[in-house]
Amino acid sequence: MLSSNIVKILDVTAFLAVSALFTSSPAFGQSGKPAINSRSGNDGSDTSHVVLDTMAQELQRNFDGLKSKADPPPYFLSYEITDQVGHSVSATLGVLNLSGDSHNRYLDTTVRVGDPKLDNFRRVRGERIQFTSGRSVPIDDSPAGIRQDLWLETDRVYRAAAERLIKIKTNQQVKTADRDASADFSSEESFAHWEPSATIAFDSNRWTNSVRELSGDFLKYPDLLSSDVSASFQSDTRYFANTEGSRVQHGRDFARIIVTASAKAKDGMAVSDFESFEAADPKDLPSNDVIRAAVKKVGENVEALTVAKTAEPFVGPAILSGRASGVFFHEIFGHRIEGHRQKDEAEGQTFTKSVGEKILPDFLSVTFDPTIKRIAGVDLNGWYEYDDEGVRGMPVKAVENGVLRSFLMSRSPIEGFDHSNGHGRRQPGLEVVSRQSNLIVSSTKSVSDAQLRQMLIDEIKKQNKPYGLYFADITSGVTTTQRSGVQAFQVVPVIVYRVYADGRPDELIRGADIVGTPLASFAKIVATSDKQEVFNGYCGAESGSVPVSAVSPAILISEIEIEKKDAAQDLLPLLPSPLSAQLNTPRSVGVN
Amino acid sequence: MGCEGMLSRGIALAGLSLCLAGVIPAAQPDAVFDAMQAELQRSMTLTLNQLDKPYYLSYSVDDEHSWSATATLGGLISSNTNDYRIPRLRIRVGDYKFDNTNWTGANAAGPRYNLQSFPIEDSNPLVLRQYLWLATDSAFKGSLQSIARKRAALRNVTVSEELPDFAPAPPYVAIRDYQPVKIDENLWNDRTRRVSAVFESFPGIRSSAVQFSAIDALHRFISNEGTKIRKQESMATVEIEASAQSADGMIVRDMGLFYTRDMTRLFSEDELLKSARAVGEQVLKIAAAPLGDNYTGPVLFEGVAGPQLMAEVLGRNLHISRKPVGAPGATTQAAATELEGRRGVRIMPEIFDVKDDPTQPLFGEEEFDDEGIPDKPVSLVEKGVLKDFLRTRQPVRGYDNSNGRARLAGSYGADTPAPTNLLISAHETTSIADLKKKLIDLIQQRGLPYGMIVRKMDFPSSAGIDEARKILAAGSAGGSGRAVSMPLYVYRLYPDGREELVRGERFKGINARSLKDILAAGDDKVTFNYLDNGAPFALLGYGSGAAEVTVVGQSLLIDDLEMSKIDDEMPKLPIVPAPSLLSQTASVK
Repeated sequence: MLSSNIVKILDVTAFLAVSALFTSSPAFGQSGKPAINSRSGNDGSDTSHVVLDTMAQELQRNFDGLKSKADPPPYFLSYEITDQVGHSVSATLGVLNLSGDSHNRYLDTTVRVGDPKLDNFRRVRGERIQFTSGRSVPIDDSPAGIRQDLWLETDRVYRAAAERLIKIKTNQQVKTADRDASADFSSEESFAHWEPSATIAFDSNRWTNSVRELSGDFLKYPDLLSSDVSASFQSDTRYFANTEGSRVQHGRDFARIIVTASAKAKDGMAVSDFESFEAADPKDLPSNDVIRAAVKKVGENVEALTVAKTAEPFVGPAILSGRASGVFFHEIFGHRIEGHRQKDEAEGQTFTKSVGEKILPDFLSVTFDPTIKRIAGVDLNGWYEYDDEGVRGMPVKAVENGVLRSFLMSRSPIEGFDHSNGHGRRQPGLEVVSRQSNLIVSSTKSVSDAQLRQMLIDEIKKQNKPYGLYFADITSGVTTTQRSGVQAFQVVPVIVYRVYADGRPDELIRGADIVGTPLASFAKIVATSDKQEVFNGYCGAESGSVPVSAVSPAILISEIEIEKKDAAQDLLPLLPSPLSAQLNTPRSVGVN
Repeated sequence: MGCEGMLSRGIALAGLSLCLAGVIPAAQPDAVFDAMQAELQRSMTLTLNQLDKPYYLSYSVDDEHSWSATATLGGLISSNTNDYRIPRLRIRVGDYKFDNTNWTGANAAGPRYNLQSFPIEDSNPLVLRQYLWLATDSAFKGSLQSIARKRAALRNVTVSEELPDFAPAPPYVAIRDYQPVKIDENLWNDRTRRVSAVFESFPGIRSSAVQFSAIDALHRFISNEGTKIRKQESMATVEIEASAQSADGMIVRDMGLFYTRDMTRLFSEDELLKSARAVGEQVLKIAAAPLGDNYTGPVLFEGVAGPQLMAEVLGRNLHISRKPVGAPGATTQAAATELEGRRGVRIMPEIFDVKDDPTQPLFGEEEFDDEGIPDKPVSLVEKGVLKDFLRTRQPVRGYDNSNGRARLAGSYGADTPAPTNLLISAHETTSIADLKKKLIDLIQQRGLPYGMIVRKMDFPSSAGIDEARKILAAGSAGGSGRAVSMPLYVYRLYPDGREELVRGERFKGINARSLKDILAAGDDKVTFNYLDNGAPFALLGYGSGAAEVTVVGQSLLIDDLEMSKIDDEMPKLPIVPAPSLLSQTASVK
């Protein structure tokens, strides 16, 4: 079972993209050669090379020192510093409830001892590998402090790495050989790339006023118990250096507007909805009118959900909207082709032996492509130029015409896949594993939305069902990262409608959970729409939260199974809302 | 109540500034207060199926503005400015005699309403009330569960002594002016950088950091009993820390701590630079000092070490902890304090009197506590005899009223008492020179090669959590209750008067009983300020909340103390030598 989900994060944690202003120079390969004179790009007059230069110097000094004095010696060393500048502002019912800026730099250190065939990163069933700590390092470009941190972390990580290698080797002798005989570390070309640090423009006044004003619209929905409109902006700059000669400085910006609301139905079931808008450049965020429409939609949806019928157990045909389908593919397909899972005995390994086999209908292909910035007019969250191992992100044709071709690869090889395809990712402070980027589902059997709906109705009749289902939004959850540090995870119910064959209007229901074997559902995909939709989110797994996208047309599935959600036991609030008095009076609401 | 009232009852030092321009007077309407009041009144009518009703409800909403900057070796690690509001509520159902608290399942969770941050603007008071409405509804339902489970548990266990659950208290009203504080963020970022850069000239230092933080809070509190309080609470701190590694691998630390509640006169750069240099020099001296040895005999706590020891050994034992009702077999964290049951008993030599006086204009000054109870001076020890305890509204054996010392968060629905200004006076005193003579006399009588002088304790401690665990484990291994902090500056005093710095000593078995072994008190008067957070050794960055405490005391000569040398495994020295700290490629901006 995978514990990961696409999650939406209200607080900015790890973000995205500006256009690369500087193209990378051809790789230069000599191991350990400092890149100071061979970087491409324009350093102008700023001091922005200081971090990367300091890293490169300390990398070499520590590597040389450890190689000559340490036993066992390391064969590889890398540093990644992630610089994150964030701005966020949030409001509820017309008043601000949060406003803050942050700037942090985190150091991740990798030391490999042994050799690429067997090193301290060998996956041992059920064991969590964790060496790096994401230590905070100076945000000033001040070499002394950064150098001291690099030195202390290298020493600490080296000791932990050496200790684990010795344990693994001892363990190795008493255990039968692993089924997957692949090595622990792939050889890759090195990259040199430099671009100025990312700096997102945050118009504090504009967004403070906007979230205040827009959140005030939620006062029109008296049944809501909580609601929020927030704007989060973040710039990420990543500095990477390894002993193979890679020197990479790259970054991206991210701007995001989130609209959320929640309430409880009469029986105590929690209901909620949200909408979000993402852009790499704040200029591309929607106008307030567009956001206002989202507030209206969310408010109406949640109010409608509080009085909606609860789902009944059901097996039958359904349409998943493009966004819902994207998440569906991300969860039940994407995670299963992450490379490292193929050699972890504790994993389900659904597809490990399926390369070259048909796993989806012929008309479907799935690509993971971190190089694409924008689809269907929407900036993609899963865009990046280099992954967290300093390897350039590459498109991966995972499924071609229904046939499995490849896995998502970090520098941890698996049988038949010796190289990374630039999908080694992490949140600062955690070890890299292979993760998704931009998941893109494409189809050669596509029809218009209207035709797809007609096909659903035909299917309902054919199967002699009272109704079919339309999943407008599937989102596994919302993670709220509050300033106080308390992280709450909240399951967001699916926005689901019953679609009747007899021409009755669609009917919103609540509490529908999809069950069954999701893989069997793939075989039952009948057709798709001809319009791609984008879902931007954050995916949480072993290596933390990383920005991802899922792009898909709507899909028609001939058979899907849902069950009733457990009955909630919460009572509604005992006293009426203090807002109800205000809402009943004719005078206008006091929001400016 | 204008400035006069503030000066007489509030923070006197900060009070001086409150008469300047920009004061928000007490008389000015306060939308937050009104919202709290309205929702409190309404919430007292909460009722569900003839179950217990609320008999006590309090709200507090604190407006907080915080600034912080941390730097190492001239480079800023972080700099943050935050404005937020912290709402808290206390609800009790049942009655004073029996309610939902004082049992291990107190604070059962009610329904979740996705409450985000409390609004920081007041343009629509109903939105503030909306938050309080939902928070109260959830807490009320949770407290009904708590009291029901408590009743169920009591069918299976008998309690040794039946005490009421909450002490009634008269209402207290105090609305004070508010003078918003302004902190020059850039100045403090730069100053923190510059102070941290001092350690660049100490190449033997392994790691170092300087942290500035300031907070300006407007505290509001109301309860259904009629208590209504609004008061400014501001504070700033600087922590200067450094560590070094001895040749045998031992990591030694030192730090300089600065506290103030006078926001008009923060720390001068000179005093901070001076402290950083002193920390740098001292930590290198300690790292180079020989390892200490096991020692049993008299120890002189000179200067600040005296009040530091008293803060830990006396200050933290001046209350009675109450064992909560527990489900059968459940374990609780409530450990008995060392002075429990010793009222009327001599706990120190007759020369000592101890008072806790919140009215003195010192760092620990306080008008009222977290439960809205006015702090009164309390005479704790008279001629060495224990007379009283620090108390909250939680009834404990022998007491059913508060004296206003609810200053730290506690467990099971109660607060933990902490001192304010702990004043330790001695009627007979000895000069420091004579204390040393006395120490030499004693060791000569007993044939000891040297005596021990401690000049600074690691309290509050900058130890990491792993190190703290080791000290706790080593301390309790002696079977003498809780461990005390490590001594930071330890000197051997030889009969010829020569002193020798040593490192790696820990106390074994110091506890409240050791107070009886005080042989003499110095004629010095030392003021020691710290923030108590309830954590062992007041470990920086841990614990629950923070109470400003001042201990005024003196040097102390104590007999029969046991020190043992650390026999932990030492980390190895780094394989690669430290980088040269002077920058090679660029200079700091």
